[in-house]
Amino acid sequence: MRITFVKKINLDGSFCKKCADVQQKMDAAGQNDMIDEVLIADERDPSSPGVELASLYNVERAPFFLVEREGEAPEIYTVYFKFVKEVLNQQTKEEDELKEILNDNPDLDFL
Amino acid sequence: MAENLLSTVDIDQQLSTQTPQEILAYALKTFDNIVISFSGAEDVVLVDMAYKIAPEKVQVFSLDTGRLHAETYRFIEKVRKHYNIKIDVVFPDTAAVNKLVREKGLFSFYEDDHKECCSIRKIGPLRRKLLTVDAWITGQRRDQSPGTRAAIPVIQDDKAFARPGESLTKFNPLANWSSQQVWDYIRANDVPYNELHDSGFISIGCEPCTRPTSPGQHEREGRWWWEEATLKECGLHDVNIKT
Repeated sequence: MRITFVKKINLDGSFCKKCADVQQKMDAAGQNDMIDEVLIADERDPSSPGVELASLYNVERAPFFLVEREGEAPEIYTVYFKFVKEVLNQQTKEEDELKEILNDNPDLDFL
Repeated sequence: MAENLLSTVDIDQQLSTQTPQEILAYALKTFDNIVISFSGAEDVVLVDMAYKIAPEKVQVFSLDTGRLHAETYRFIEKVRKHYNIKIDVVFPDTAAVNKLVREKGLFSFYEDDHKECCSIRKIGPLRRKLLTVDAWITGQRRDQSPGTRAAIPVIQDDKAFARPGESLTKFNPLANWSSQQVWDYIRANDVPYNELHDSGFISIGCEPCTRPTSPGQHEREGRWWWEEATLKECGLHDVNIKT
């Protein structure tokens, strides 16, 4: 299995808020060793590797994880806690997962 | 079981110029295990359209947060009887609601924000429901929330709610329609509607978090009016357009 972590840099050169938050969680949980490659999607550079990867897989949200397993179709995870539970097989709190989903999909509260 | 979708982006380009009925027809033809999300508001047009396209395939669910208006409960029941369909009313996890209310009371959303309550009362049961299907249909429109989602596609690969290792397809047949077009359809087709609309409610959600709006106000102003609208998601869309 190969895991690629894509983080976004904003036009002002800072990391996007959620990218920084996810990175902080990964640091605290010691998950960085499980990531094979980190790519940057730089809003100032449309040809940056992260932007190209996002275009290739039609991903519209950062950060995201690309999970490649031999003989299987690549999988994209845009929800960090879903990635942690399903790929890293680590425990997550449901309330954290649900909050992340709603934060990433603000229109869901219209349902 | 659904056909494999090679590229939702390519299909979106084809469907985006089609009518809601054509998009619905495609969705119902492509997927067997597909549900319509019905909020008890003007998204009833989806139920009406789907019923006219393929009545035998109409599967509907509603999220009962426990805080809806009495009028909305009556309307859900009216729709069930009007179309003679089953509506799967799904509920939040009792223990999670109990914990929230015990620790923060019944109106914590006025002091914090609505997200914690919404995640427990809506997102949790929504996820449980969506784990059982291959595709779902919503009444989301671009004009509902231009600040947060100016370009809702008519079809998308729903990565947030997909079962592990599988895909979930989300259809938004009304994405390109305006509120006016929805109401023109309701009136032209004698579609039943929630009586709250006659009292000035445009957007209808939970009772404590919904209020009527004045003429000229955007419908979003009728929801969570005590909060400042903020852009929470971290989109890559603009960058993708440029590449």
